[in-house]
Amino acid sequence: MRLDSKKEVCGLKERYDVAVIGGGVVGSAIARELSRYRLDIVVLEKNLDVCYETSGRNSGVVHGGFAYDTGTLKAKLCVEGNREFDRLAQELDIPFKRCGKVLVGNTREDMETLERTMEQGAKNGAAGLSLIDEEELHRLVPAVVGKFAMLSENSGIVDPFIYTIALAENAAENGAEYLFDHEVTAIRREADEYCITAGTDEIRTRWVVNSAGLGCGKISDMLGITGYQIIGSKGDYIILDQRTGAMLPMPVYPVPSNTYMGIHVTNTTDGNVIIGPNADMVTDFTDYSVSQKNMDYLAESASDLWPCIRKADYIRNYSGILPKWVDENGVIQDFRIEMREEIAPRAINLVGIESPGLTAAVPIGRMVASMLAGREHPEKNQEFNPKRKGIRRFSLMTEEEQREAIEKNPDYGQLICRCEKVSKAEILQAIHNPLGVSTVVGVKYRTRSMMGRCQGGYCQMRITQMIEQELGQQPEEICYNRQGAYMFTGKVR
Amino acid sequence: MLKEFTCIVCPNGCDVTAEFEGTEIRRIEGAACARGEEYVRQELTAPRRTIASSVAVLGGTLPLASVRTTAAIPKDKIFRVMEEVKKVTLQAPVFSGQVVIRDVLSLGSDIVATKNVPECEK
Amino acid sequence: METFDRTREVEGIREIEETDEIEKMQEIDVLVVGGGPAGLAAAVKLYEKGITSVLIVEREKTMGGILRQCIHDGFGLTRFKETLSGPEYAQRFIDAVEELHIPYITNAAVTEITEDKVVTVVTRGGIRKWRARAVILTMGCRERTRGVLGIPGERPTGVFTAGVAQAYINLYNRMPGKEVVILGSGDIGMIMARRMTLEGAHVQAVFEILPIPSGLPRNIQQCLNDYDIPLYLSHTVTEITGKSRLESVTVSEVDESLKPIPGTEKVYPCDTLILSVGLIPENELSLDASVVLDGRTKGAVVDENFQTSQEGIFAAGNVLHVHDLVDFVSMEAEKLAEGAARYVCDGKLQACRIPVTADENINHTIPQKVSGTQDVKLAMRVRKQFKDVTIVVRQNGETIASRKMKKAIPAEMIQIPVKAERMKRDGALEVCVEC
Repeated sequence: MRLDSKKEVCGLKERYDVAVIGGGVVGSAIARELSRYRLDIVVLEKNLDVCYETSGRNSGVVHGGFAYDTGTLKAKLCVEGNREFDRLAQELDIPFKRCGKVLVGNTREDMETLERTMEQGAKNGAAGLSLIDEEELHRLVPAVVGKFAMLSENSGIVDPFIYTIALAENAAENGAEYLFDHEVTAIRREADEYCITAGTDEIRTRWVVNSAGLGCGKISDMLGITGYQIIGSKGDYIILDQRTGAMLPMPVYPVPSNTYMGIHVTNTTDGNVIIGPNADMVTDFTDYSVSQKNMDYLAESASDLWPCIRKADYIRNYSGILPKWVDENGVIQDFRIEMREEIAPRAINLVGIESPGLTAAVPIGRMVASMLAGREHPEKNQEFNPKRKGIRRFSLMTEEEQREAIEKNPDYGQLICRCEKVSKAEILQAIHNPLGVSTVVGVKYRTRSMMGRCQGGYCQMRITQMIEQELGQQPEEICYNRQGAYMFTGKVR
Repeated sequence: MLKEFTCIVCPNGCDVTAEFEGTEIRRIEGAACARGEEYVRQELTAPRRTIASSVAVLGGTLPLASVRTTAAIPKDKIFRVMEEVKKVTLQAPVFSGQVVIRDVLSLGSDIVATKNVPECEK
Repeated sequence: METFDRTREVEGIREIEETDEIEKMQEIDVLVVGGGPAGLAAAVKLYEKGITSVLIVEREKTMGGILRQCIHDGFGLTRFKETLSGPEYAQRFIDAVEELHIPYITNAAVTEITEDKVVTVVTRGGIRKWRARAVILTMGCRERTRGVLGIPGERPTGVFTAGVAQAYINLYNRMPGKEVVILGSGDIGMIMARRMTLEGAHVQAVFEILPIPSGLPRNIQQCLNDYDIPLYLSHTVTEITGKSRLESVTVSEVDESLKPIPGTEKVYPCDTLILSVGLIPENELSLDASVVLDGRTKGAVVDENFQTSQEGIFAAGNVLHVHDLVDFVSMEAEKLAEGAARYVCDGKLQACRIPVTADENINHTIPQKVSGTQDVKLAMRVRKQFKDVTIVVRQNGETIASRKMKKAIPAEMIQIPVKAERMKRDGALEVCVEC
């Protein structure tokens, strides 16, 4: 059944069925799963695009599910997410490689830990785990240093930006509405609906989903579900030049401790290598600065595993923060996905969704959708289309495909970003993206332009000019990534 | 009095030392060529500089045409000349060498375009 | 649909008619990758030497390379005996290309060069391939970025490399900021200090991590001193602050090993940080063609004809080693063209088996190999500053060339001619600094 009849008011609906707070990978997966039903869905995102926070600031690894305590949501949803990732990648047209990964050990204790990890993995249902000797390890990853390893065949890597964007775009194509620059500052319950203050708007909705990531504690408090303690685990990363990718066919991890996976080296779907993360406990969830000390430490630690790190190959560094729910003793807890009818009816509260959130996002989305559907029994959305088409990348085409693409659209023959070989056609599609994102970084995440070794030295000015022209913006309006991140103070003349 | 200069006439950038008393120059040493001595002489009496900037262009393939002075202007007039440069708007096409301001502020230098800016096709 | 971009608004170049001539050219004598000061000079010289089956491939819509945005003057004193702005300097060569009717395509990206010299070019008209007898690499260089330096801190907007800021101001008519700090005393950084000052920005200071400036003395004078912009040596940026736009940078003094000295931090509020911290030869295409690079220059290892380790592939200009002056770029490319012309005519060049080595005071030399049978000009840079030195070239213990210098600084490229008659056919050439 259609929940309510609505009127359009100034682009906003008078009342939504569901407001999803937070448009990260989890919020977008939830929106997509909800859009399988005939519901009016709005996603409230405080940033100017999806994946500006944790969803875009991580290792990009699709985990196997062996690392989490048996019986936890983390274990269950991760294994479930891993299993369906090939289908998902195909549906969403996203870069994904099931390349496997190794946990590399040297000592007797390491071996015991790996054996325990294998056992736990088997209980969790994570398939494709095996112990391999030094010879096999070096056959798989010649450059690695270690005596033996646990191989997880089913682990993989995904482009976390494109993945999140794809989920969001597919949700939007199936009817979910995305509102950017809409930070939720207050939630009021009135009779049978919630009134959410988001940005300068008041949003009325019957259901609320808290998938606010780093903001989950705050939103939970606004819903009246208090008492969750969220701490940030901040990790820094260094990105290496694409020429290093050939030396790393799969992610290489050390043997994990109970709570921390350790500094690892990961290949990316684009052939770069990333080193990281450390894990510093932080309370400021907006500070993404990277310290010299940490960068030095990362390179040093990772070199023990993979001695191919040269400073000349650094192209960028970044950091990400995982929201961890901890108990009063500081012990990290499982994902919490709950409905607390007595406090906040028609609200689904997600707390502490950290790693493996990227892998588990779609199963989480399904879980949330079934919680809502179990209560409301909404009609199926017959028009739901799980398929989303990404921007066709010139650099990934065969030469024959390139020729055809240029013939159909000459903009494919005009390369704007030389390092990543991104054509004007791709940039234009990214500027006119389905979510209506208009930042420079929005183009970067969607095309990989400006991500190469020159870091936009060649193409950034062409891209800002195209954004101005295509979207009719003034120079002062061009925004790099977030509110206030202007690029220019004006014209010279 | 002794004063050290870095000659800016050519990329050699000679270190030149000048000995002078008031406006009277006694000795100039270190310049590899006569132009260096001349530079220091001028620097001690009335320093001059060339400048380069841009003027706005309407209807061109580029929004700006680069310009420069054809002769050095007094150093203390640089920002006054910039004010004049900022006032100019040209209509495309612009040709390299085209005089943009003749004898700017009567300082004995023209401002000339240093770049061709063809008309935009649209 | 057009095969090549007809709307090539080459600055000052009349349009060349679309060209069946280019269309048919599958085999070619020489393909020049890049239409900047090196590529243009090489093509013109090749023509003068009678090699007319030449094609220049330029990725921009107009030729001229980086000179298009270098609107300041001071170019051409050596090559043309007069002072020109960058665009005027480039125009001299562009005019020559036009007069000689040397074919070129713009808006055309070379995406691959193979070892057997098949060059793939992507244009709006499609993908084209040429098999060239000789390929000339003149792709120039790119700027080192914040990522390579690994400057710690947040990642706000307002951090620009000097060349990007220069392009925004001089080509795109966009002002990147108003309150400026510059890191690195490279020439482009100093030139941008002056340029931004002229356009009303306030440049607070230039900071250089090394104890000596990395740009030319005349630029310190005319770009910094003239505008009362202080230059602090042995200082570097140790923190970048600002969540959206840059709000401030923290600057620290560094010790002899270039490590920041705790307690010397000073905060400079600013909205713009310009980085002028070095250039890297752009050799991705060279690597695809298996050209061997020199770790010191980050450019190809070449012989006296500027031939790389791959026969028939030549390199000159900033793709080979970063130059201080564009005049030397063009002159090096002209020298290259002489060798390339001989290679095209004769099918091979004299073997160059004599290595050029250098002592610890010399950073690198170009070329790295000579034949000993023709006059060469060795180009080099010293590693540190020297006063009253002689740079000596020895072979088998004997001095065969030398140059006395009142001062030798890393910012300047030093050239020493060596006469053929002074060289033996074997024995390395050793370059050293004698104080």
